[in-house]
Amino acid sequence: MIIDHQYNIGHICTTTQCENGLGDKVAMRWLSPHLEQCDYTFSDLDRHSARFANVLRKLDIKPGDVFFTFLPRMPEQFFAFLGALKLQAIVGTLFSNFGEEAILDRVGDAGARVIITKKGFLKKISRIRDRLPALRFIIVVDADDHVSADILSYQRLMDEASDEFITARTPPETPSVLHYTSGSTGKPKGVLHAHRSILMQRSTTESILGLTPDDIFWCTADQGWVTGTSYGIIGPWSMGVTQVHFGGGYNAEEWFRILQDQKISVWYSAPTALRMLMREDAELYARFDLASLRHICSVGEPLNPEVIHWARRTIGKEIYDTWFQTETGAIMIANRPGLEIRPGSMGLPAAGIEPAIIADDGTIILDQTPGNLCLKVGWPSMFTTYLNNSSVYDSRMKAGYYYTGDTACRDADGYYWFQGRSDDVINTAGHLISPFEIESTLIEVPEVAEAGVIGAPDELLYEKVIAFVSLHRQATFSRELELKIRLHVTNKLSSVATPHEIICVDSVPKNKSGKIMRRVLKARYLGTDAGDISTLED
Amino acid sequence: MDILAELGPIFCEVFDDDSIVITRQTTANDIDAWDSLSHMNMVMAVEVKFGIRFALGELPSLRNVGDLVDLTVKKLAKK
Repeated sequence: MIIDHQYNIGHICTTTQCENGLGDKVAMRWLSPHLEQCDYTFSDLDRHSARFANVLRKLDIKPGDVFFTFLPRMPEQFFAFLGALKLQAIVGTLFSNFGEEAILDRVGDAGARVIITKKGFLKKISRIRDRLPALRFIIVVDADDHVSADILSYQRLMDEASDEFITARTPPETPSVLHYTSGSTGKPKGVLHAHRSILMQRSTTESILGLTPDDIFWCTADQGWVTGTSYGIIGPWSMGVTQVHFGGGYNAEEWFRILQDQKISVWYSAPTALRMLMREDAELYARFDLASLRHICSVGEPLNPEVIHWARRTIGKEIYDTWFQTETGAIMIANRPGLEIRPGSMGLPAAGIEPAIIADDGTIILDQTPGNLCLKVGWPSMFTTYLNNSSVYDSRMKAGYYYTGDTACRDADGYYWFQGRSDDVINTAGHLISPFEIESTLIEVPEVAEAGVIGAPDELLYEKVIAFVSLHRQATFSRELELKIRLHVTNKLSSVATPHEIICVDSVPKNKSGKIMRRVLKARYLGTDAGDISTLED
Repeated sequence: MDILAELGPIFCEVFDDDSIVITRQTTANDIDAWDSLSHMNMVMAVEVKFGIRFALGELPSLRNVGDLVDLTVKKLAKK
């Protein structure tokens, strides 16, 4: 795959495929939200991304500058992503349902110089524009002409750009993709990757997802998250595989129709989506012929054994659960074709990956005992740093291991079993959400005095967001206020951060130094013992 | 009361997008921000606006905005 020391992801996913004789092969079958179909060959991808690289170059974007995409699933997302990488710009991708604070935290921290978006999202950006001093241009995909000197039409820029671009030789350590991830405290952290990640993204696409060049692959993840870039773009296209991308949301009947009509052979989705399918009427599955589908892979949160049994029973397919993180860039531990599936387990490490279960005191734990899930550093897709936050990066690296923040145990045969998080981060439908961010946003509502946020177990979402709020004396909790709070969180952060329940309490429990005691809130919600409460504030 | 016209500003506020124009045929596939979670915001916003409550079982059958308008009209008639 690496020719003449060229590690550039954008180049390998497009130009290299054309050089390998795949120029006329369909790279992306785009299905609009209304299922209109449009095919793009590898040659098309190469030309569109080259044009976009030239667009950014004309806007004086240089290697190492940060560029963001803020788009729903649409073809321009892919052209922009690959084109910016060809130019050696750093590409951040924003989930299209992010609100203005979530955008500000990411675009502001990264000092992004250009962002590509669509008209409907301009309102969110304009509200924070004065707090983004580094942002020079906004490119709008659905504007026919330039709106102003710094709000530019994608179409016009592309029309004026050449589709010839020679990608500079890109060393493996060159910064590439930037995804932000939430922690239990502080703002989201920018996880920076390097172009070398393509080595592991490609190898795991073959060895774990089991793709071959003749497959038709569908990854349902949004490009705002690491799965959507590592396996919705890089892995499959680096090996010349045709991908289907669908612009619509979850709809059981449409999804099965896509699987059938597009002859999807490998499908990568998430446990929440699979659990939603499981709830559908069995009559639905019987109407579709899924003979082309070889297997399903899953990622995002632990896959419960019931889903694996359901898939075997109702559609006769295996589901292979995989585990990785934004920081790992590629799949680290997984079930996969050819291995015995142990339902409920994370599977076995990918080739070259050395996990360890480590106690808080740093000793490596024997099999069958839970502890911190760690990875020996040095795998090809390992992140390079947390942008502007090297102290947190250093704190996650100890004695040659990266501490993932997850806890797990290993059985006698080497299978890993997920136990939970070692912090308060909430995993809802595969999205990691910071309780701190939600609490900070909740107390911006004038009526809210204090807020504490927890994740509670949920059959569908794995965890759901529960908010406890206490109100200022003059305020009264009502449906109107509940709606106001919900909309505030959705529009500032995102719909995935919006609490499923908002519970009004007299006060939010804190310890004597003022820290919110989320475990007390969780125990209260679940009706369990809160444990030691001696540090609880009077 | 023209329910469809009343729903327009609600959709713009809930999905934080002033460019949204709804018709009876509008579905979640036509509005970028309309996902299963923001759907709950929209339902609650309609309930608060019209002083009605939808039963959980009534929501999955809503295929488009037209169905939402019809259900709202039915609820208002029973008030």
